[in-house]
Amino acid sequence: MQLLNLNIDRIIIHQVYRRDQDGNKVTPTQSHEYTNFDQSAMEAFKTRVKDALGDGSKAVQMEIVNQESNDLPTLINQMIVQEDDTFPASSYDIAKKLTDAQQTKSIPGGIVVVFSGSQGHPAKKFLGIIKAEVHSGYEKEVDKKTNEISLKFVEEILLTPGTRLYKTAGFFEKANYDEHSSDLNDKWTVMVSDYQINKADGKAAAQYFYSDFLGCGYPQTSARTTKQFHESTSLFIDKLNVPAPEKSNLLNALTTYLKVDTSSTISASEFASKYFDDIDTQDAYTSHMKDSGLPDNAFTKDIEHIESKLQFRKVNFGGNVKITAPSETFKDLITIETIEGDLDESGTPAEWTKIIIKNRITKQE
Amino acid sequence: MNESEFKEKWESDKPVYRAWGEYVVNTITQDLEGRGKNLNEFLKTPAKYRLKDDGSLVDKAFYRPNKKYSDPYNQIEDKVGARFIVLLLDDIKEICDVIEKSPAWSFDACKHFDEDKEKDPLLFTYQSVHYILKPKKEIVVQDITIPESISCEVQIRTLLQHAHAELTHDAIYKAKRTVQPKVHRTVAKSMALIETTDDFFTSVTQQLNSGPLEEHGVIERLDGLYLNVTGIKSHTQKSSIVIWDVFEQCIDENLVDNIQSQLINSKYDFLSETIKKRYTENAFYQQSTVLFLYWMLERKKQRLLSNWPFQHELLEPLAVDLGVSTWAD
Repeated sequence: MQLLNLNIDRIIIHQVYRRDQDGNKVTPTQSHEYTNFDQSAMEAFKTRVKDALGDGSKAVQMEIVNQESNDLPTLINQMIVQEDDTFPASSYDIAKKLTDAQQTKSIPGGIVVVFSGSQGHPAKKFLGIIKAEVHSGYEKEVDKKTNEISLKFVEEILLTPGTRLYKTAGFFEKANYDEHSSDLNDKWTVMVSDYQINKADGKAAAQYFYSDFLGCGYPQTSARTTKQFHESTSLFIDKLNVPAPEKSNLLNALTTYLKVDTSSTISASEFASKYFDDIDTQDAYTSHMKDSGLPDNAFTKDIEHIESKLQFRKVNFGGNVKITAPSETFKDLITIETIEGDLDESGTPAEWTKIIIKNRITKQE
Repeated sequence: MNESEFKEKWESDKPVYRAWGEYVVNTITQDLEGRGKNLNEFLKTPAKYRLKDDGSLVDKAFYRPNKKYSDPYNQIEDKVGARFIVLLLDDIKEICDVIEKSPAWSFDACKHFDEDKEKDPLLFTYQSVHYILKPKKEIVVQDITIPESISCEVQIRTLLQHAHAELTHDAIYKAKRTVQPKVHRTVAKSMALIETTDDFFTSVTQQLNSGPLEEHGVIERLDGLYLNVTGIKSHTQKSSIVIWDVFEQCIDENLVDNIQSQLINSKYDFLSETIKKRYTENAFYQQSTVLFLYWMLERKKQRLLSNWPFQHELLEPLAVDLGVSTWAD
């Protein structure tokens, strides 16, 4: 989502650990004080947040599922209005909830950054959580006398650019909502950025974070959004100023992207960078998708409403000629090429199509 | 009027002519500054007025062999003169426009090289623009009354035309011996070359200043939009020129309208404050180009990232303002 006018006022950091040898929980380390970043550190932190959750990011919108009094969404709903003296203690409850959710030894520890602030115009509140895995790296050191460069090994490094090594969640207060509604989904938009969700078949690996910890689930609107994605992309391809065979390739790609690709999320920017060679076409496409009302970041894929559409690729020609083929095999079995046909009275050739079907005829009527 | 009466009158009139010369120079330079010209750059020599030297005035009035004046004192109109030297032919047009539009005087456009070319297309000789300016009605400048009959000659030339004039005036007219035809021919050749070079200069400047950016008045319109949004005047710098150069393909007649309609949305109202807050952090915030970059981030992000001519860190603050993810992994 578009994080306009992002402003962060409170940051507090706790540490969580991997389960011990016997699979027991290790109590997280609590901080009592707020972290004060200087201006450039704050700017870099904002950069991490907008790269993870902002416009064009791979974050997906989630729906709040667990709304009981001791569930995380309820805690966040309370924390957002807490004064500065009670907020740190509540934020530690978040670290404890993450520790509870990390039920296997395979899940690494790391730090939990809890931060709050405002975004948008007029400004609306939000609360963010980052779980950053600790990794190692090097720091450059220059000898002042000799100017020799050496590397100092640093065991714990956090929040380097790139979103692979941290998971981010943001609870964003909606611009307008019914204050009497008991459904937290009416008040909050939840965005989750997790590299594992986007990975092929990554749902299971990511589940401890978005579901067990955050108490969220995939939105029920996914099937509708996926259908809209398919329609708007088809429309864009149809209007593209490219030869018919290339359009056919792009439509094949769309089918592959939605049907064959095993990633559980899709996004316009990912489709653009994968299948449009030309950068300006990529930009025109993402703009078109934005204007069609599709999310400007990733969303969870659900092809329920377009399953039958994706089953077959159909191509219609003048003279009521049609060919149909299963979409999985279309690309391999059929090649389409535009050729010059007979000349008309003015001497310009008619546009014909040459089709090769790499198989024999099985039946004719 | 005999020679001594002539000299006497000239002596007593000098302060009036000085005052008129000064008034003419001040009025023209002020008008040029009002049109945004930096006089130190625009004028290649400082603008000054000058009274005609006593000796050459008398010489002109009484001793010129091929020209007899019936009323030399009033017929000689260059008793005070001012000269404006500029680089380009187009700059001459600008000064002519200032002179012809000013309400302070009546003007007589007595010489223009373009007319001379029409009249004598085969002749390559002294080129300049001359005006004779007289007050429209009697005026008082610093306690000196300047009557309508007082005239001042204004000459306007390019640097190259001026170089030619200097050579011919000093070396030819004042030559101590008869000038050989060969010398005249060489001077004419150099004038032909000067006219050609002036044309080349003009065409170079026009080519430098033509492109979609100028054609659609993008910078001027964007400056206006920036002023509207922030209340601050934009200062276009070299960094902007580099950006416009790199993204020229994104410029069309609708660009500024598109940027404007993006900003009209009230969710962007905060940008005015953001730009002011970050004004000293990063030079882009001081230039109207920042609005173009915001628009690119929203509508043409991949093109922006792939052609961005500076280090990536310079773009990041703008991406933070709009909450746009620029990381691809």
